[in-house]
Amino acid sequence: MSARRSAQIGSMMKLEVKGIRKSFGDKEVLHGVGFYVESGKALGLLGRNGAGKTTTIRILMDVFHANSGEILLDGKKFVPAKHRIGYLPEERGLYPKRTVIDQMIYLACLRGMNPREAKESAKRWLARLEVSEYETRKLETLSKGNQQKVQLAATLVSDPEIVILDEPFSGLDPVNSQILKDVVSELIADGRIVIFSSHQMSYVEEFCDEIAIINQGEVVLAGRLRDIKREYGKNRLMLAAENLSVEELARKVEQEWQDLVSLSGRKKEFLILELKEGADRRGVLAALAASDVEVERFGSYEPSLNDIFVVKVGEDE
Amino acid sequence: MKRFMIVLKYELKEYFTNKVFMGITVVLAVLGAAALFLPRFVDMSDFTGVQVTGGGSGEETDGESGDGEESLYLYVDQAGILQEEALGGMFPGALWQEAEDVDALRAAVEAQEAEAGFVVTGATQYEYYVYNKAMTDRNTAVFDQAMKLFYRMEQSRQKGWDLAEIDAMYDVPITVTEQILNKDSGSNYWYCYMLVIIVFMLIVYYGQMIAVSVTNEKSNRAIEVLVTSTSPNSLLFGKVIAGAMGGVFQMGVVLGAVLLAYQANREQWGGMLDMFLHVPGEVLLAFTFFGLGGYLFYAFLYGAMGALVSKTEDISKSVSGLMVVVMGVYFFSLFQLMNIDGPVIKVLSFLPISSYSTMFARVAMGSVAAWEIVVSFLILAASIAGAGVLGAKLYRMGTLRYGNPIKIGTALKDMRKND
Repeated sequence: MSARRSAQIGSMMKLEVKGIRKSFGDKEVLHGVGFYVESGKALGLLGRNGAGKTTTIRILMDVFHANSGEILLDGKKFVPAKHRIGYLPEERGLYPKRTVIDQMIYLACLRGMNPREAKESAKRWLARLEVSEYETRKLETLSKGNQQKVQLAATLVSDPEIVILDEPFSGLDPVNSQILKDVVSELIADGRIVIFSSHQMSYVEEFCDEIAIINQGEVVLAGRLRDIKREYGKNRLMLAAENLSVEELARKVEQEWQDLVSLSGRKKEFLILELKEGADRRGVLAALAASDVEVERFGSYEPSLNDIFVVKVGEDE
Repeated sequence: MKRFMIVLKYELKEYFTNKVFMGITVVLAVLGAAALFLPRFVDMSDFTGVQVTGGGSGEETDGESGDGEESLYLYVDQAGILQEEALGGMFPGALWQEAEDVDALRAAVEAQEAEAGFVVTGATQYEYYVYNKAMTDRNTAVFDQAMKLFYRMEQSRQKGWDLAEIDAMYDVPITVTEQILNKDSGSNYWYCYMLVIIVFMLIVYYGQMIAVSVTNEKSNRAIEVLVTSTSPNSLLFGKVIAGAMGGVFQMGVVLGAVLLAYQANREQWGGMLDMFLHVPGEVLLAFTFFGLGGYLFYAFLYGAMGALVSKTEDISKSVSGLMVVVMGVYFFSLFQLMNIDGPVIKVLSFLPISSYSTMFARVAMGSVAAWEIVVSFLILAASIAGAGVLGAKLYRMGTLRYGNPIKIGTALKDMRKND
């Protein structure tokens, strides 16, 4: 990586998407989408199929033009062509009949690298994604998983300052997913802006500091993931007993402690309880101590991103 | 410009490392050249009119076929005017025999023992018998001449005239020295004819190839990565110009091999292909500018049409309108070569869709002022740039529009909306 590039990546950047609206024909599909992300952080763009994630990303990449709204980088209009961006589109595709190394060098050169840098970078990324052995092979001769890894290497070959990955984990087996997870973590640690959309909440939870949930063309929830989880877990407790099944425990809660807690949900291993107004967790603890329940697990409940997503998108339906 | 060069280089590599492309180039060049070496090894004197030197003896063979076989021709002379010797001179390689009667002649022809048969029923009439009449059968035409000769001889004999004297009077040799002050349309006609066909082939064959290469980027879904990596102008210009260069290279190699082979064998051909292959410099220059300019103009339009579909099997639908224009211009140009200074061809020589053939034809065969050439070329150059920019916009607009082919009208409308 050149010194100039290192300095660029090292400096803080803020990418803001503000009030994006987009119509196809008479139908408005994005109704003022907005979020932001900073260097060294990852934003998870979540949403159901057809929610507007890919359209938002394509507007960000200037593939589509927004009807209104703006995209700013450090307060100035964001022009993708002026920056090195690693973009992995939802519709994957490279040249099936060309060799892996040839097309990677080609893409790196198109994004501003000189041929020598491009070749070095291509080799480095192929090695990092463990597909070096295929560099002189035609893409079409590789397995689907390896083609996916080559596509990721091609996304990152230009040493991008902004990385946008649309469903990067689709088509990867657990081993390859782990490699990609490590790569994404390195990109974040390296101070790059990372935006990625995914249906797989566990990955988003793993990397993303910020999330934006898009539903039916609008952002229904956005912010720091930790804060969101705290907010959604507020006044909620988890409870499991050694001597009672979840069902028996649920009945007991409803019959004996209805003035303290209400049943908010049940998982396979534990119950989710919500404190009633005026009650606190000491009171619940005291009630538990006075009962015949042998407590296995008791504590604050932190919802998973999946729970939050289901609740939030479900509310909006 | 830098990105354009990157795309151009990458696309050119695609052509020059493609084994099929290079293989076809070599095979066509070798076949073309080999065909022109044929008179050295095969007796083509019937076609070329040049007698082949046989077996290294240095002696020329006679006018008969190399293996000495003669075709049998039968006749029945009911008018008593035929002279076998004269017939032999007029039908080289023919063996003349008198048949017993008409039935015998007919039976021999029917059994294909004789090539043909003639029954002379009067001084000025005869019947011709042949089993299968070939398209190139000229027997009756030659026999007509023979009959006329025999008639004249008979009349001269009866009236006591000297036929040789009369012949000398009628067929007095005239010597002409041509002083062509401008152009010889007659001899330039064939160069133009050939060059119009070459440009037409370049446009149709390589245009289609360019359209396929653009469509492939949509069908393999690489287009989204590409348009987010560089400008559509660089992509389309690089792709189309590389395709055009590939076409010119292939055609150049094949034509070069043919021209060189012809130069080496010109004597054996008796110069008979000069009218096609001996192109004057000024015509070649006009061809370079207008022919290749027109090719590039259409190449961009083919590239744009390729961007309107996402499956290669849909390309024929997308380019059909363009094909009609190309074909129309092609046939019209060929027909108008006969009327090279007419008003229609003058107008066509300024239109970018047709100047590629009509202007260089005018340069070769007609009267054209220097300003007309310059203006026409400027219009063509501007149109090439316009077609390139329009093609790039259509290419950009067609990004991510998979599925059914996009109609050109819809594409232009959507382009204005700037979606």
